[in-house]
Amino acid sequence: MTRFEAEEILKKTFKLSKFYDDQWTTIKYILEGRKVLLIQRTGFGKSLCFQFPATIFKGMTVIFSPLIALMRDQVKKLNDLGIKARCINSEQTLEENSKIINEAKLGKVKILYIAPERQENIEWIEAVREMNLSMIVVDEAHCISLWGHDFRPAFKRIVDLVNLLPKGFPVLATTATATKRVENDIAKQIGYDTITIRGNLIRDNLKLYVIQVSSEDEKLIWLGKNLNKLPGSGIIYTGTRVNTLIYSNWLEYLKISSTSYNAALDPESRVAIENGFMVNQWKCIVSTNALGMGIDKPDIRFIIHTQIPQSPIHYYQEIGRAGRDGETSYIILFYNKEDRKLPEAFIESSRPEMSIYDKVINVVKNELLSERELMKQTNLKQTQVRVIKADLIEQGIIRELNFGGSKKYEFITNAKKIDTKKFVDLRNHKLKELEDMIAYVETDKSRMKFLCEYLGDTIKSNISNCDNTSENKIKISVTPEWIEKLQNFREEYLPILEVETKGSNLINGIAASYYGTSSVGSAIHRSKYENGGDFPDFLLKLFIKAFRKKFGNETFHYILYVPPTKSGDLVKNFAIKVSKILKIPISHKLVKTRHTIEQKVFENSLLKTENVKNAFVYLEPNEIKGKTILIIDDIFDSGATMKEIGRYLTTLGVLKIVPMAIAKTVGGDIV
Amino acid sequence: MMKETAYWISLAHIPKWGYKKINSLIVKFFHDFQIPIDEFFHLDETDWKNKFHLEDKDINDLKKAKSEVASNSFLAESLLNQGYEILPIISSDYSKTLKENLKTSNSPPILYLKGNKNILGENSVAIVGSRNASKKALDFADNIAKLASNKFKVVVSGFAKGVDKQALDSAIKYKGQSIIVLPQGILTFDSGFKKYYKQIIDGDILVLSTFFPKAPWKAELAMARNPIIYGLAKEIFVAESSDKGGTWSGVIDGLRKGRKIYVLKPEIDDNNANNLLIQKGAIPVDFEGNELYKEYDIVENHLLVSAEEQVETYDLEKKIHEILTVKPMTATEILAKLDIDWKIKKMNNYLKKLNFIQFEKSGRRNIYKLRESIERFQHKLFDNS
Repeated sequence: MTRFEAEEILKKTFKLSKFYDDQWTTIKYILEGRKVLLIQRTGFGKSLCFQFPATIFKGMTVIFSPLIALMRDQVKKLNDLGIKARCINSEQTLEENSKIINEAKLGKVKILYIAPERQENIEWIEAVREMNLSMIVVDEAHCISLWGHDFRPAFKRIVDLVNLLPKGFPVLATTATATKRVENDIAKQIGYDTITIRGNLIRDNLKLYVIQVSSEDEKLIWLGKNLNKLPGSGIIYTGTRVNTLIYSNWLEYLKISSTSYNAALDPESRVAIENGFMVNQWKCIVSTNALGMGIDKPDIRFIIHTQIPQSPIHYYQEIGRAGRDGETSYIILFYNKEDRKLPEAFIESSRPEMSIYDKVINVVKNELLSERELMKQTNLKQTQVRVIKADLIEQGIIRELNFGGSKKYEFITNAKKIDTKKFVDLRNHKLKELEDMIAYVETDKSRMKFLCEYLGDTIKSNISNCDNTSENKIKISVTPEWIEKLQNFREEYLPILEVETKGSNLINGIAASYYGTSSVGSAIHRSKYENGGDFPDFLLKLFIKAFRKKFGNETFHYILYVPPTKSGDLVKNFAIKVSKILKIPISHKLVKTRHTIEQKVFENSLLKTENVKNAFVYLEPNEIKGKTILIIDDIFDSGATMKEIGRYLTTLGVLKIVPMAIAKTVGGDIV
Repeated sequence: MMKETAYWISLAHIPKWGYKKINSLIVKFFHDFQIPIDEFFHLDETDWKNKFHLEDKDINDLKKAKSEVASNSFLAESLLNQGYEILPIISSDYSKTLKENLKTSNSPPILYLKGNKNILGENSVAIVGSRNASKKALDFADNIAKLASNKFKVVVSGFAKGVDKQALDSAIKYKGQSIIVLPQGILTFDSGFKKYYKQIIDGDILVLSTFFPKAPWKAELAMARNPIIYGLAKEIFVAESSDKGGTWSGVIDGLRKGRKIYVLKPEIDDNNANNLLIQKGAIPVDFEGNELYKEYDIVENHLLVSAEEQVETYDLEKKIHEILTVKPMTATEILAKLDIDWKIKKMNNYLKKLNFIQFEKSGRRNIYKLRESIERFQHKLFDNS
């Protein structure tokens, strides 16, 4: 097929007049049955490079994509053009997915989007045998490489699959973010005969700024003052889930329309927010980096980071989502010298100690186990188990089996010992990347040039689209009026203790503060673990303030407190003081029936729940029947203890149980 | 080899192609033309036709198989990822015992495995018998497994109830090694993999299947598995057989192929068909597996052959089989190749009695060639895959 002929078809099918040169080169190779790695910036038109040949081929094209939002988006666009595209994903019902699989078997689907994890599904594997395939596409191909910014183990299997495909079978791998090292790694993995096509990564419609600050307050205040001055809608990326809540609450408090988004949300809420985002329902979404990948919104006008990302690649990838329409968009990065601690801690703690790896290996040697069983047998957190699993799989020490629909882990006979050098290399690589990210903050040269060169682009001309070149520097001014606003906000928004479950009269309560923030955490720690005596009075004040704000208008019959395991009478004494101030009678009749172990010893909630099961008894059940009760604890972590007490008190006929804690931990703060 | 897995799966499961047809094609491209399977698949149709003398129908079958390589890659990836191995007949790891016993005509072109494949190279003993075995038969199976394990011989069994299961359990008990030959596809054995996890991990059990990985258990598959059990073993012990069913037909088939098969000599009041098998040529053994044939009267005259004679006949049959693999021949030609001092008429009569041979008249001469009947049986295995 000549370019002219192809462009004739392009006009008819895609309503586009011509290909860019790199697009046509890619398509030509694909039509010849070659393997191509295409690295092009966001908005270049990578999708056309596989969508076009897909419509030419007789059979079906399968696209592996990790991004459900992107799948939905592209499927809709293709269907609008009259091209039969479908996607199979975990957010659709089983019926929907099987219907699509059947259509594919009958040859009624031209382009099928699936997640790499689908390869684990045996029904899918069986069904594929009846499909007529013409091409495989690996989208977001940087996920293949351990040296990329988003390595995903499921992509390892896609690599294996690609290597098993017959000769002359076209494969296209695409990404917008790959350093030279990642590029070579991908090409090596998918086959030495891979042709790499790398485009220019410059995005000159993005205006890049860095704002150096000296506190979290300065970030909040600048945003409060300036967010509405930015054009259109955009995204604020925070480093942690809890910050998505704090920042979006702050904006809400200031009546700036926003919503928070993170991976912990259920699929319906995520879809609703993504859809709202597409139609500019809010000024901004406050999110972890879970949002935006693959959302094809052309007019994201600003992207603000309140926390530095781990590396310039992460940063380029995340800001790349802005301004796909080519219009000016604002890219702002806040940086406080303290901020490097978060990514540093993340890198340092990303791998557990080697003895823990051995622990996992030893249990897997004896029995075929699921993740849950692994957690139980090793007393490890889910996140830890997952990191270890992924490493052990990657190093060929264990393998993941699909066992009657559930995943189990199997030891590989005669496996080698763990290669710890690999971990050290990776850790050093990541620390280096973090230094490079800080170098981006500190550079006084063109920021876009810095990023592009980092990604392996060679740029001759100067690019002036940042606060080091053509744009003004942004400065922060903090006024007493704004400090007061922030103070009021902090008193208004309290951490919620989410414990409500069906069949329990326990309702969601509050904590006076987050454990990690300000002086609260360290004060509790001193009293609890460093013999610092009773909890200091400022905690009592915070607690009373929080109580009055949230439950001041309710009538309570009794105050109870969670009986201690180890730290003596701290909570009891605290509850007595609360009882005196609030003039609610205190009861000491909630006691333990047996010795329990401190909850913090248990790394996962499965074991925490078991530790406290049936551990409590109330000595005179009749006196609390039909009553409303406030129950106090110092630290709220997994909620397992509160839930167990709530469940038990409900069986005694307590009408309403309200939990309160001095502080709530977030995502495993170190207690 | 791994890279070509999807090609092997596609070739091995071409509908209505028997083992012999597939294997002769493999012999042609791999040994005669010395090209790997992927290259063979990417040859022009004219090459298939001219060099490999394939007929149009076969070429169509191959084209279809070729078009399925891409989708079989998904299956291959899934299998390899879950730790299964796929051994084509050309692999140096493929069981030599199996190839020796079953030849090109009956050896499966690929084996699906999980576990320690080195077991395939060990000395091996098959222990077979009925599903509803007597206590005595089970004790015999246990004893043979014990003797085998003590001598580091691998116990081959078919994972059926009764004797098979006893043989496996005993091999485990005596810390021996085992091969489980599945009557089903290897992907349908989850419960077994869970149960024998530790033994598989420790390298003491190898699970083997010759069927399409997702094929569910079927009586036909169980029947078709029996020759594989026999084929994988150097010695075959029958604990107990009735006069019909899997064990019976398996032993008869084995005897027909000239295998030496040991059967536990029954007591007068034992209710089984062991004696009948002994009359058909199986060798009686005692509880310890020691041969008893010399003291035993065999009734049917024409089957009265000593063990040595049987080996000789077996060798002769084997040679004839080899000669005819090359091309069809007359009795005279065969005699010349064999270099033995027989009358042509005797050879003609002998050949006509061999069940793996068929003949056609060509003028006044009889042309002998290998029969394809066994393949017809194999068809069924793939129809439902």
